[in-house]
Amino acid sequence: MSTRRFMTIILVSMLAVAVLSVSCRGPAPKPAAPTGGTFIFGRGADSVQLDPAIVTDGESFRVTGQCLEPLYQYEPGSTKPIPALATECTPNATSTEWTCKLRQGVKFHDGTDFNADAVIFNFERWRFTNNPYHFASQVFEYYEYMWGGFDDASIITAVQKVDDYTVKFVLSAPLAPFLANLAMDMFAISSPAAIQKHGENYGTPAVGCVGTGPFRFKEWVEGDHITVVANEDYWGGRPSIDQIIWRVIPDDSARFLALKAGDIHALEQAVVEDLAAAESDPNMYVLTRPALNTAYLAFNFRIKEFQDIRVRKAVAHAINRKALVENFYGKYGEVATNFLPPLVWGHNKDIKDWEYNPELSKQLLAEAGFPNGLSEVTIAEDILDAEGNVVYKAGDKIPLKLYYMPVTRFYYPSPKEIGEAMAADLAKAGMNAQLELAGDWPTYLGLRRDGLLVGLYMLGWGGDNGDPDNFHNYFFGGLSSEDEVKQPDPREGFYANQEVARLLYLAAVNPNQAEREKLYKQVEQLLHDDVARIWIAHNNTPLIFSKKVSGYVPQPVGADYYKWVKIEQ
Amino acid sequence: MARYILRRLLSLIPTVLGVTIVIFLLLRLIPGDPAVAMLGEHAAKENVERIREQLGLNRPLFLDREALRQGDLRRFLDSQYIRYLGRLLRGDLGSSIHRRIPIAEELKQRFPATVELALVSMAIAILVGLPVGVLSAARHNSVLDHVSMVLSLIGVSMPIFWLGLMEIMLFAVFLGWFPVGGRLDHTFTVPTLTGLILLDSLLTGHWAALADGLKHLAMPALALATIPMAIIARMTRASMLDVLQADYIRTAHAKGLREQVVLYRHALKNAFLPIVTIIGIQMGNLLAGAVLTETIFAWPGIGKWGMYDAIVGRDYPVVQSVTLLIALVIVFINLVVDISYAFLDPRIHYE
Repeated sequence: MSTRRFMTIILVSMLAVAVLSVSCRGPAPKPAAPTGGTFIFGRGADSVQLDPAIVTDGESFRVTGQCLEPLYQYEPGSTKPIPALATECTPNATSTEWTCKLRQGVKFHDGTDFNADAVIFNFERWRFTNNPYHFASQVFEYYEYMWGGFDDASIITAVQKVDDYTVKFVLSAPLAPFLANLAMDMFAISSPAAIQKHGENYGTPAVGCVGTGPFRFKEWVEGDHITVVANEDYWGGRPSIDQIIWRVIPDDSARFLALKAGDIHALEQAVVEDLAAAESDPNMYVLTRPALNTAYLAFNFRIKEFQDIRVRKAVAHAINRKALVENFYGKYGEVATNFLPPLVWGHNKDIKDWEYNPELSKQLLAEAGFPNGLSEVTIAEDILDAEGNVVYKAGDKIPLKLYYMPVTRFYYPSPKEIGEAMAADLAKAGMNAQLELAGDWPTYLGLRRDGLLVGLYMLGWGGDNGDPDNFHNYFFGGLSSEDEVKQPDPREGFYANQEVARLLYLAAVNPNQAEREKLYKQVEQLLHDDVARIWIAHNNTPLIFSKKVSGYVPQPVGADYYKWVKIEQ
Repeated sequence: MARYILRRLLSLIPTVLGVTIVIFLLLRLIPGDPAVAMLGEHAAKENVERIREQLGLNRPLFLDREALRQGDLRRFLDSQYIRYLGRLLRGDLGSSIHRRIPIAEELKQRFPATVELALVSMAIAILVGLPVGVLSAARHNSVLDHVSMVLSLIGVSMPIFWLGLMEIMLFAVFLGWFPVGGRLDHTFTVPTLTGLILLDSLLTGHWAALADGLKHLAMPALALATIPMAIIARMTRASMLDVLQADYIRTAHAKGLREQVVLYRHALKNAFLPIVTIIGIQMGNLLAGAVLTETIFAWPGIGKWGMYDAIVGRDYPVVQSVTLLIALVIVFINLVVDISYAFLDPRIHYE
């Protein structure tokens, strides 16, 4: 056989593979997009969907936050709710009814009017599981999570139309963080006409988001980029840039190199070495997103030794958190003394932090009956898995373990190394903790949910709406009346503190912010005194920009504002 | 021959069935479930349960024996696997758990990207690896032979992520020749015919897009081509060395044939069988193993999305579909390789 014939075979087989790749017809060729005024932002992952009500990932909100707006939003650079599509919302005397005046003359990108009907349409779609637009394939996670549940479980029992530009929210109980909730990205108002027209496809790459925001959706090439263009008719005035492009560059180093090469103008998430390089680069600057997060080390209270506060104190005094922050967070981190980061009201700055003192730790351990240190612990009560099988039996002796997180999260920049450093600190104080990799992230979270991380474990929290309730209630509260008994939750390492839970209930239903603040400060003090957990650090996440960019405002909560961004050509 | 091909195609059915069962089971053996992966730190018992129910993850894996005992045959068969198989038979790959978007639609965009990258990489690997291997064998023990074999050893052992970053540093940051990542600049839109940007822009005469597509493809294709290129070069050399010892080669030389003719007409043809085999294997590897290259060069293919992200997120339907697709492609490549044997070596017959 000749070489030519062989090459024919190769070519034919290659062509066959090509044909196998499903072919489809796309849109007709378009002329090149306008140049100038394009702001290109590099990020690590693509958006999941552009209907904010059905997603939970920050990369989706980053985009929907430009094209949709909620009734309230957060003050630039802070967590304070300020009016957006509503011009004001006022509560009745008992805070069970909120009347919101809506902004007039605002149009959705599809030309339809924003009014009371649009607001009601959105809220009813989210709330009612039998609503024709509450699609069975979609998960409206945040509605359930922030408003207590769907249908009859919802705290919002009615959204009434007072007139075309006034709506009244009726609540089943007073809800102090009402405005903070309202301002969340997930509760941004979409065009009812767009949802009716596109059905389940609303928010997908083919349709995108249709709202009232400063930018309108243009295109989404999956895994590559999303483009939005300036909304010429924006009620707050047209943004100065023509378009924003979010480009997906998954690798941290490659993303930084893209900024260096001028392919993108800004990025979030960089490795420590690249951050240092950016700071000394004359063409770049670094901004930080104010910390609305807390990294912590938790105890599993089904371990008998941890039920003794002296042992918990020994752990608290053993860990050199200052060194951890210096080594792993650099200048972007700060040592946490509270669960609430300093920028959230309710943060108690009077708390006297645990000092780093391994000798004191040893002494506390000796007092607790462990003069020779601690390397083995005892299960106090049976621990079951989700199916009800006993995994650890009461009385079982197991090694003292420290579970480290298998993935980097914004609050723990290098979890494995931080875990190693903590284990080394514990060893200096006589506690020989075995470092434990429990599996990948879903495995880790699954074990945590069932209380099966039997030892010390690393985890953290990022705030959703800037209200202290959003930090404390999920972990330590959850009561539906003042006298309900707080049950130990496996998810929180079986920790239950009745007084803390009671105060959190009182704070959640009290509309007076000054009084609430006092309650949260009290909660922080109680958690500290009880050594419920060891707060490790708050991380201000850095963003790197090209010097051509100005006017970008990193938000502690909610999507960043791009409408004031200017770019030098 | 036709009967042989038909038989091989029929054998696809049990293969595919086997792949679905193995992948289905393996995925569910890893602890952690999609609902937990989706909710992250927010996961609470109640909402995890509700989502599991909504996604059908609370049904038994294969058969509901409890329902059989109650005599409910419909429920007995209503298991996760049978639901999946039923959908598959109707040509429905299902939707991604995380994105609630039909997987077929996403594959339509992403698979051609991976195929394009793999094909171009393979072309580079063959065009460079083959001649280098032939020349090394012909100049056995020469400086050229030693240099190319050392280089190919480096090529096999070079980590792709490191090579990729070095390429970006050199060609994108310092020289500014190529863009850092992506498939096509956002200012271009090429009508989709095959999904392969180079081919589509060629067919529609979109020259600027073709040039831009080539620019984007250059670095990732080079990075991905290194390993197969080195392997092909080494395999060609070894196989050629074997053949070059044969009597008929000496005869050919004695006849006074030009060396080119001896090498490429007489020797290479006989040395080709193992080379074709290795090319087939590498082609499968390229399709399945582009995860790193796609990550570094932000290439929107199936590698990172379908393998890494989907496994970490426990997006079962996505992993199942992508694995199935890759399995099909590999079976297909093997078939092509086997058939090519018959053309390469007349002594091989398929009944």
